[in-house]
Amino acid sequence: MEVMRMAISGTQRGKLISAGYTSLSSLSSVSPSLLAKDLNISEVEALEILKAASHSSRLDTSGGDHAILTGAQNAWEMLHEDSCVRITTSSADVDDILGGGISCKEVTEIGGIPGIGKTQFGIQLAINVQIPAHFGGLGGKAIYVDTEGSFMVERTLQIAEGCIEDMEKDKHFRQRDIRAVKEKLLPKDFLANIFHFRICSYTELIAMINHLDKWVSEHRDVKLVVIDSVTFYFRQDFEDMALRTRILGEMALKLMKLAKKFNLAVVLLNQAATKCAEGLYQLTLALGDSWSHASTNRIILFWKGEERCAYIDKSASLPSASAPYSITSEGIRNSITNCKRIRMM
Amino acid sequence: MKPSTLLDAHNQTITTQKLTLSCPILDRFLSGGIPCKSITEIVAESGSGKTQLCLQLLLSAQLPASLGGFSASSLYLYTEFPFPDRRLRQLSHSFADSYNTHIGSLSYDPLDKVLVQAVHDAHHLFDVLLKLDSFLVRRNSTQWPIKLIVIDSIAAIFRSDFDNTPSDLKRRLSFFFKISGKLRALAEKFGLAVVISNQVVDFVGNNDGINGLRIGNLPCLYTSGRRVCAALGLSWANCVNTRLFISKSEEVIGEGSGFVEEDGKFSVGMRTRRHIHVVFAPHLPPSSCEFTILREGVSGLESRDHLVANSSRQ
Repeated sequence: MEVMRMAISGTQRGKLISAGYTSLSSLSSVSPSLLAKDLNISEVEALEILKAASHSSRLDTSGGDHAILTGAQNAWEMLHEDSCVRITTSSADVDDILGGGISCKEVTEIGGIPGIGKTQFGIQLAINVQIPAHFGGLGGKAIYVDTEGSFMVERTLQIAEGCIEDMEKDKHFRQRDIRAVKEKLLPKDFLANIFHFRICSYTELIAMINHLDKWVSEHRDVKLVVIDSVTFYFRQDFEDMALRTRILGEMALKLMKLAKKFNLAVVLLNQAATKCAEGLYQLTLALGDSWSHASTNRIILFWKGEERCAYIDKSASLPSASAPYSITSEGIRNSITNCKRIRMM
Repeated sequence: MKPSTLLDAHNQTITTQKLTLSCPILDRFLSGGIPCKSITEIVAESGSGKTQLCLQLLLSAQLPASLGGFSASSLYLYTEFPFPDRRLRQLSHSFADSYNTHIGSLSYDPLDKVLVQAVHDAHHLFDVLLKLDSFLVRRNSTQWPIKLIVIDSIAAIFRSDFDNTPSDLKRRLSFFFKISGKLRALAEKFGLAVVISNQVVDFVGNNDGINGLRIGNLPCLYTSGRRVCAALGLSWANCVNTRLFISKSEEVIGEGSGFVEEDGKFSVGMRTRRHIHVVFAPHLPPSSCEFTILREGVSGLESRDHLVANSSRQ
């Protein structure tokens, strides 16, 4: 019953229902005096009810069916909304622990020590987001915000070639289809769909993030934003740590909003740092404890013996797990040494 | 704000400009050479050839583009004294000899194109970098712009001035990021190749500690039979794009080994073998390459080990 959601008191609601006014439309044409007579209340009170009714119906036309606030949804609706779109990492094992890949609408942080493959993940995702829909991809474009200068065009080209090769190998597609599609897939086109921004100071980075909303709204097909790395400029020039925390917090909120609004994935690459606690040095991701709230998902990359491993450190929906991966000349792939050794923790 | 395009007007991919090392084998190892707009670090113990490589690069930068150079001069910031001027002179002679057809004029002296600046401490280095911006703007309008900055070595200025206390470590860390940030900005603005040499420290303690942390492709770094790690720690490792490591090993060569020197005599005694490894790089696979230091400079060796090491990693 629609009257249940109107912002009126319980007695008023009871009177409305017992008088037969159950829907908003039944209140739309009634006059205050008539309503006052029907409900046996004062005309002022009746006017208030009508105001509340018209307010509710206005919300209804702009938002969903049962929204209390514009744009709000309940959990049921969110669950049934076109099930979360994900970007594959090209390693089946890592995809498995991630529930299919890096999810859209969320902020995912990937961190680890130098040389573990953060940038490789960034480039791989920027390529994989472009996998066309008939190959099970998103067919989107990517923004690559590069603060460290590690983005290499030649490497991107290699990874794009590897990705195309993989798509052609995919057995789900018949030979004929592949040929038809093959002509469209060129590594160069993959490069053309990556918007590369080279950032040289933290003010530039903040300006860039503020500008992203406008930029993405003009380029709706962008489905991924990679920031490589979010850390670099925040580890210099900051005497005032409280200021840094505020700036980072604001930045994180903007990125989350962006991810939600445009249904895209935001991937933040973070560096590892040592933390000095009670005289002991521990390895952790940079930017401090308050930053760990900034991302919905946090993946830590580390060496496990001779193998590279990805570990889900934080996620709202996924269990903690780790999976090995390797970096080949074609990009991120499953670890060769073991195919099935995913350990649930 | 506009994104930079990865394709040029003719729809060709824009490849990163690379600086040759004046040796085809080493160039192939680095897939073309030292990349521009990026920081390349060479980690090695003393006497393994990092300064030799740096000096060779200073000269290579002067080569024309057809030979993999930039037709540019270079800036050498040195922190370890004295400046190796005799070696640089020696290299420049053989450089002028081997490339005289390309350089042409007889009055050309490669040493004129090498700018040298001593750096005494971290503050001094940062000051120099701050001044470089306006200097490069002026310089790059001339015939020989600067396209290469070499810092040899970064460790020397940081290993002395700072204590091992949390506050000093924090001060040091902020310096790392300031210096690296400035260098990266300069590299991007002027299209520079930046090469930084770094020392090693001995590895002490067990494998589990923070010092035993594996960074990059090699589980641990060994040189001259000692286990080492790069100086300046994890935070500095975040400040460079590519890290190369030179390992050195002594090998006993007896008469029976059948190793013949160029002059036809059997060599007896010790021979130093040097290998350069990719520790991490955004664009290079894990690999290594042996090289030797000759009178004329550093030169790579085509070795069977290298091929075996590569295939076993696949």
